[in-house]
Order: sequence, then structure tokens, then C-alpha cells
Amino acid sequence: MEIIKKIVQIEHKRWIIGSSLIALFLLLPIIFLFSNIFEIEQSSFVYLWKNLLLDYSFNTFYLIAITSLFALLFGIFPAWYVSNYKFKFRVFFDIALFLPLAIPTYIMAFTYSDLLSYTGPLQSYLRNNYPDFSNIFNNDYLQIEILGILLGLALYPYVYTASRVSFSLIGSTYINMSKNLGLSSTKLFFKVIIPLSKPAIFSGLFLVIMEVLNEYGAVKYFGVNTYTTGIFRAWFSMGNENTAIQLACLLIFLVFIILFIEKLSHKKSKFYYSANSKIEKLSTPTSNKYLYIYSLCSLPFILGFLIPFFYILNNSILNFKNIDFSRLFELSLNSIQVSTISTVLIIITALLFLYVEKISKLKLSTFISQVTSLGYVIPGAVIGLGVILLFTKIPMLSSYSLVGSFYVLIYAYVFRFLAVGKSPIKSSLEKQPESFDDTAKTLGLGPFKILQKIHFPINRLALITAFIVTFVDLLKELPITLILRPFNFDTLATQTYEFAIEEMMVESSSYSLAIILIGSVMLVFLKYIINKQINAS
Amino acid sequence: MKRIVVFISMILVLSSCGEAPKKSNEINLYSQRHYKVDEQQYKVFEKETGIKVNVVKANADELIERLKNEGENSPADLFITVDAGKLQKAKDLDLLQKISSPIINQNVDVDLKDVNGYWIPITYRARIVVYSKDRVDISELSTYDNLTDEKWRNKVLVRSSSNAYNQALLSSIIANTGEESATKWASKLVKNFARDPKGNDRDQVKAITAGQGDLAIVNSYYIGLLLSSENEEEIKAGNSVGVFFPNQGEDESGSHINVSGIGLAKNAPNKENAIKLMEFLTSESAQKTYTDTSYEYPANPNVEPNEIVKKWGSFKKDILDLNKLGVFRNKAIEIFDKSDWK
Repeated sequence: MEIIKKIVQIEHKRWIIGSSLIALFLLLPIIFLFSNIFEIEQSSFVYLWKNLLLDYSFNTFYLIAITSLFALLFGIFPAWYVSNYKFKFRVFFDIALFLPLAIPTYIMAFTYSDLLSYTGPLQSYLRNNYPDFSNIFNNDYLQIEILGILLGLALYPYVYTASRVSFSLIGSTYINMSKNLGLSSTKLFFKVIIPLSKPAIFSGLFLVIMEVLNEYGAVKYFGVNTYTTGIFRAWFSMGNENTAIQLACLLIFLVFIILFIEKLSHKKSKFYYSANSKIEKLSTPTSNKYLYIYSLCSLPFILGFLIPFFYILNNSILNFKNIDFSRLFELSLNSIQVSTISTVLIIITALLFLYVEKISKLKLSTFISQVTSLGYVIPGAVIGLGVILLFTKIPMLSSYSLVGSFYVLIYAYVFRFLAVGKSPIKSSLEKQPESFDDTAKTLGLGPFKILQKIHFPINRLALITAFIVTFVDLLKELPITLILRPFNFDTLATQTYEFAIEEMMVESSSYSLAIILIGSVMLVFLKYIINKQINAS
Repeated sequence: MKRIVVFISMILVLSSCGEAPKKSNEINLYSQRHYKVDEQQYKVFEKETGIKVNVVKANADELIERLKNEGENSPADLFITVDAGKLQKAKDLDLLQKISSPIINQNVDVDLKDVNGYWIPITYRARIVVYSKDRVDISELSTYDNLTDEKWRNKVLVRSSSNAYNQALLSSIIANTGEESATKWASKLVKNFARDPKGNDRDQVKAITAGQGDLAIVNSYYIGLLLSSENEEEIKAGNSVGVFFPNQGEDESGSHINVSGIGLAKNAPNKENAIKLMEFLTSESAQKTYTDTSYEYPANPNVEPNEIVKKWGSFKKDILDLNKLGVFRNKAIEIFDKSDWK
């Protein structure tokens, strides 16, 4: 009786039940997949344990470590300089440092290995002009360390953005106080700024780690066996679904540990940006410092964007007469169309979960909201297969042969990328005091009206941010598209990949260039919005 | 209200961008092949017959999963792969049906045919040994087994064991010589590796040119592709290596080959059109197009290989039942794992 009474008393029941049902719907493929876990054959686990797990674990952790190290190096220092110092081209760097996000990791890896290979332009040039000197560069570049650096270059913008926002908001109070206490600028940075920004940096780093765990194309090419390659090997090559699912579980477990560490670091350093004023005056660096500033700001931009961009651009120009423009246009349209529709759905869903979490204040809603983010940690192809299983095995759904339709493709996208759309909205919603909702309620507004009249306008910028970040990620998406796409449907990403794995870098260039250009335009626009946010708070 | 209108219009947009394949004058392919030449072939076929070709391209194993789960509702007519092992896997999962066409029967080489008649070959390729012309004397080469000789310590290049071509090669060795001897072969070969397996077949050739190793196990057509590249450096790389067909001795099995092939889906909704396409793809004109752009060997014995490929001379093929490549697949992967072939 008591329980029923309690349930009756819960506010916003309809919202909670509605969001729970949607969450359940989204999670179905994964529930379906993991329901098999109880049928584990012991022998497959023993086999995994004996032969592969050590190797897979070592590679996974080592690759995460190298990528993280470089993502932090490339991300944090420029973010600090741009946030704190006045120098020429500061505004330019602020935008430029963001751009490598437009280059998919697999394009970064394929481009650099082509660039550096024995028959690539660098070594050929040296061989033809400086034969004695050329041997120094004749190395095997397909190494896990090189891969780590390349992934670091492609992914550091996550760290850069997170730290950039945090550094700007930490504010002059802390900085002035520290300076009055006699801290040098180096000490200020390491003793005050970094510890205070830890949660923000970690949230950026978390995205980097997720991307590394999910990486497939580049990892395979470099011959590095991670958990994700293991999942594919077990499932596809050996036809052993159980081993694949076990590995996927391990992957999810790993992510939970990382999330747990993040929670801990959050708890330890709880402070509010808003209590401080933002940095009002940028410092003028000493002439010595200029060298650091320019080298550390330009290095990630040059390596992470300029070089691959110009290499791809050059390839497209060389191949200009062979470019099929009507196809290029068609695929661009496909990519934009499918990404836009999915992104809109993702934002609506994300907003729903977060809003219910906010108004219901139930642990359950928080849990539901978090569980739906799980899609981001599961390799795309595993989601794709879960979706196929779902839509073909449930009798009610199977008679419609939905697999191979856009509905199913977009459904899979929504589950996979919900977390990406959620994170900017979440941090924006958290910043708002409860009093807004309370006042609105006293004025007699219902939850829907509150969402429409208050949260929509207030969080407008966060919503746009979420839109762009998700859109750019979808533009680059590969594994889900490959496995679930309808007949005759190609995107820029699938076409680029098909050429690239055949080492037809020249043919792939115009398509990858289109991805980079569309992504860059969106990101420049996003940067403009983020800066507006920084300046407005 | 406005929201609902937006939502409904979005769904309409969604439906409009899906070209649901209709029956009758169409044919639906699930294909692992994604080369330009395939598109060319389909276009010619469309022009000749008026039958529209719809394609989904993905990894063979993923396509098999899709086919398997779609069951009776699958729209797929044909399943195209670059590995007979995958065709055998599909047949084993009861996803294919027998193909009977006197035209195809006449078009393709007897040695390459599926003994059970569930799939047909369109092209074939050999997994060969290439060697540095500077550092290796051709007389030192003989068989796949010879590559495990101590004289090749730190000299052999090959890609990862996740790769289907390597899995097929080892499957053929298991089928020909037994599990024990195949295990020995793999673990001894790993000791001769010049570096950890990585990259694709072309990268192995480049690594020879760069001096990182002396021998590599690669598919024959990659050499053709390098030699016909627009990049001068790649042509140089292709020219710096020699092509060698292993296991040519009288009592030896012949060089390992594999096919690009097509299976007819069990529930093919457009079966007649599907057979027409297979007849077209094995015809002399289509076979000529394949050999001249992909540098594979033609499945039709009346067609000659491309000039570049012809220069390597003819060779004795391993005429093992190619279905065995699928049968021994799991065993092969187990052996790879045990022998630490990454």
C-alpha cells in the first residue's frame, strides 16, 4: 500500500514513465545482445584468457596512455596561452586549434602513413635529392606509438575545448590571489589552474578515451590488437558471439571504472566558476614566452590539421579531372541529410532525458539518463548487429523487414551518439539555479511550458553546441552506416573509407576533403558560439 | 502543433530518401567487393538488360549476419565476396541455394567451380611470394614451407592474421598437410618475421623496397596494381620485387588460390535476374573488364589475364576444394593465436 501511495505522490509521473519507455526502446538492442551472456561457454572464455586477453589489454591501455598524453599536451598548453595571454593571431589560433576535430581518425591515420611511407612524398623527395640523408627517415612508421600520436592529434580538441572554457572561467580572483602570494606563472599554472580545472580536463579526456576504445579502422591498419579488434575477430572471423560479447562487457566495465574515477575527482574538487569573475585582462607575455606560445599553439594545428588538409587538398587537385562532381554532390547531400535528421532527434531525446532528470529528482531518472549514454562506449558495429538482431528476431518487428531502412539506421545513430549530444546540454542545465523552475511553477506553468518558455531560450547556445558536435561526429560515422545502410546508399565517410582501405588515397581525397570542409565550417561556427558563451558568463 | 507538423514533415523527408527496392526489374546485391570496376560492370548490365542493380557494400561477415537474421524477409538476391571460405560459411548457415545455368557452367573453369553448385567464381587470385631482386636469388625459393627455413630469419613480411587472405592460406595448409604440420609451419614462420604483422599487402611490398625485409606473402593482383599505379615511386617499388609462385614441384600442391565469387541467396526475390547477372559477369566481355582493371585472373578460361600479369607466366594452382577454406577457418585462427601471429 505504502509503495502505491508513494508512486501516486510522485510528481510528473507521465514524464517519468514516458522517458523510461523511450529509454527502454533505445536500450533494446543491447538488452537483446547481453541476454545471451548467461549462455556463456566456459571454454571460449578460457581460450580468450589463455591466448589473447593479456595482449589485447596491454595494447588497449598502452594506446590509451599514449593518446591521452599527447591529447593533454596538445590540448592544455595552447588552451592556457589562448585563455590567459595577449598575442598576435590569438583569435586565429583559438579557432584553428579546434579544427582537427573535422578530420576522422581513420583519415588522419591513413593520410600520415601514406605521407611517411617509403613511396610517399617525403621519403621520395629525400631519396631523390639527398640520398645520404634519406636513410634516417626510412623507418617502419606503423607503430603503436605513432598511432597514439596520430590519434592524439585527431582528438586533442576535446581536451582543448574543455580546458579552454574552464581556464577562462576560473577567473581573475584566483589568479590575482596567487600572484599576490608570490607564485610564478609556471607555478600558478601547475599548482592552481590545473588542479582547479581537473574535472573539465577529465571530461574532455574521457571523450578522447572513448574514441580510442571505439577506434577500428586505424587500429587494424596499424596491426594493433585492442579490445575492439578482438570483438570483431571473435565475432566475425571465429563466429563466436559469446566471446565477442564477453569482450564488449569487459569494455563497458572498463568505461565504468573510468567514469567512477571521474566522479571521484569531481567530488574532491567542488567549486563553482560563477563565484568568480572571468579573466578580464589578458597578460602580456615576456618576449621569451612568445617562443613557447607560438610553437606550442602552432604545432598541434600544423600537424593535426594543416599538413593532412593540404596533402588531401593537393591530392584532390592532382586528381581534379577524374573527380565525379555529381557523385560528390550526391554523397555530400546524403551525409548532410542523414546527419541533420539524426542530430535533431538526438537533441530532442537528450533534452527529454535531462529535463526529466531535472524535474523528477528521482534516482531512477538519473540512472535511466546515464544508462542511455552507454551507446557511446559500445563499438558501432556491435550496436549495428544488436539492432539487426532486434529487428529480425522479434516477430512483431521482423515481418516489416525494417533492416536496411533509414528508420533503423537513424535509430542506431540516436542510441550511439546520444551521449555526445547530451553532454553540452547537461552542463548548461546544471548551471541554472532551481529557482527558475520554482518561480515558473508558482506562476502556474506546466513542465512542457517551462521547457518551452524557460529552458529552450536559456540553453539555446548549449543546444546549438550539442547540435554541431553531434553533427560532426555523425558526418564521420562509419561502422554503423556500413552495416545498416539501405541499398545504393553511400555517405562521404563510407566512400572515403572504401578507397582508403584499398590504398587509393588519391581517389578518396575529394570525398575526405568534403568531410573536412563541411566539418570545419560547422566547427568554426561552433567556436564562435562557445566564445560567446565564455564572454557572456 | 507546430512541433507536430515539423515532426511529421521530418518523417516524410525520411521516407522520401529511401529508395525501397521494388520487385520485378531489379536485383539486390550484398557485396564485399567495392571496386570501381564493379560499378562499371553493373552499369553495362543495366544498359543491356534494363534491370536495375541495387548494392549494399560491407564486410562479408557482417553481410552474412545480416542475411542470416533477415531470413525469409531478406531482399538480397546475390551475396558477393572475395573469399570462397565466406561463401562456404554462408552455404553452411543455409543462406544459399543451388545455381543451375548451363551458360555459367560453360563460362567458368572446372577447377574453380563449387563442387556442390552453391556458388560461382568470377575471378581468382594467387597468394604468392615476392622477393627483393637485389638481395634474394630466385633459386633459393621453393615452397611455402621453405619460408620457415632458418636462412630467412627476420626476413619475412606478411600482414595480420585477422586478414581473410592469411586465414584462407593457413586453412589450405591445414587441409593439405594436417593440423599438426600447419601449426608447426605457422609458429616457425612467426620466428622469421621481419616485424610485427601490420598494414595491407601493398605495404609489405613497400617494406621490401625500403629494406625492412626480403620476402613477402601477398596476393598476386597487388603487384599488378603497384605496377600500373600513377605514382612513379609505387611503380619503382613494384619493379624492385620479383614474383614467385610457390609449391610448383611435381609432387607439390601448387600455389594457393582463392576466388571472388557469388552465391545465390536462398530467398532471392529476383532469382531470374540474379542468374542473368551471374551469366553476364562470367561472360567473356565482363571477364576482360575484370582482368584489365583489377589484375585478377579470369574465371572464364577463354579470357587471357592482363599483359602485366601474363608476364609472370602460368603456374600450377592448388586445386583443393575451395570450400575447405571455410571449413578450416576457425582452426586456422586458433593456430594463429597459439603461434603468436598477431
